[in-house]
Amino acid sequence: MSASPFEGVLSLLIRQRGVLGCLVVGEADGIVVDSNVQVGIQSNVVAALAAALYRKARLCSAAAGLSTVSFLQLEAERGHICAIGRDGLVLVTLAEPRAHIGRIRGAMIESLGTLA
Amino acid sequence: MRTHVAEPWVEAPLQTFVDEANALFALLLHPSGQVMGQFGFTRAVDVMAACALAAAIHASAGELGRELQGKPFRELYHAGRNRQIFIGDVPTTHHRFVFLTVFDAESSLGLVRIYFQELCTLLQHAQPPLLAQAPIADASFEQDLNRSLAALFSRAPRADGGESSISLA
Repeated sequence: MSASPFEGVLSLLIRQRGVLGCLVVGEADGIVVDSNVQVGIQSNVVAALAAALYRKARLCSAAAGLSTVSFLQLEAERGHICAIGRDGLVLVTLAEPRAHIGRIRGAMIESLGTLA
Repeated sequence: MRTHVAEPWVEAPLQTFVDEANALFALLLHPSGQVMGQFGFTRAVDVMAACALAAAIHASAGELGRELQGKPFRELYHAGRNRQIFIGDVPTTHHRFVFLTVFDAESSLGLVRIYFQELCTLLQHAQPPLLAQAPIADASFEQDLNRSLAALFSRAPRADGGESSISLA
């Protein structure tokens, strides 16, 4: 069985400090393509909701004339959800509050080419 | 737009699903094809047709699953150009239902699957205690079907027990 093309990206992201999980999700259907998440995270639920959120943000940005969404960050009481997308796929990262978002953002943008 | 139900206890779970999943149509029915609740349909004939087809598809998929893997398929999904359809099996302690929903790009398969699981849980908790039921005869099945459709579309069935007063044209 061959390895997933997203394995490298996911293992790079999961190694960042404070990252709880990362997923590659189909934007239109919200189904997990590949993931690397800690035990206890409901990856299917996170994937579907994060993909819907990213899609709405993309449509909102386009409607406002702001062009494409380069990076989406949701800040919550107990952590962050970051999303970045390309060609119908969304890369989602879940992180603790202590995580260094700048580094995660850099790693996600660097990984964008893999989603193509 | 509100859901219409033949049994009051299915209303809240069905309405929650429709609101959360942003579905265009939703239909909860017995595997026999008798409707329990619906959202989005405006004509009784459409509900009847959808129930009959959903029951048949569910039965066929179940048998196909038994042939292939020894247990029935629980979920079925079909993507059209603009709209998508999802049919799922709803097992509860006392009953077994079939659920059909139609959605477009405003929702997604992932969201529908999440809220379908939630619907199953809500129905499990909302179901009334099991009452002893007589076997369904052909005549009573048709009467029950007409009564359900009449309840759904807020019209009373005819007193002679014959065909429903709902226009099927």
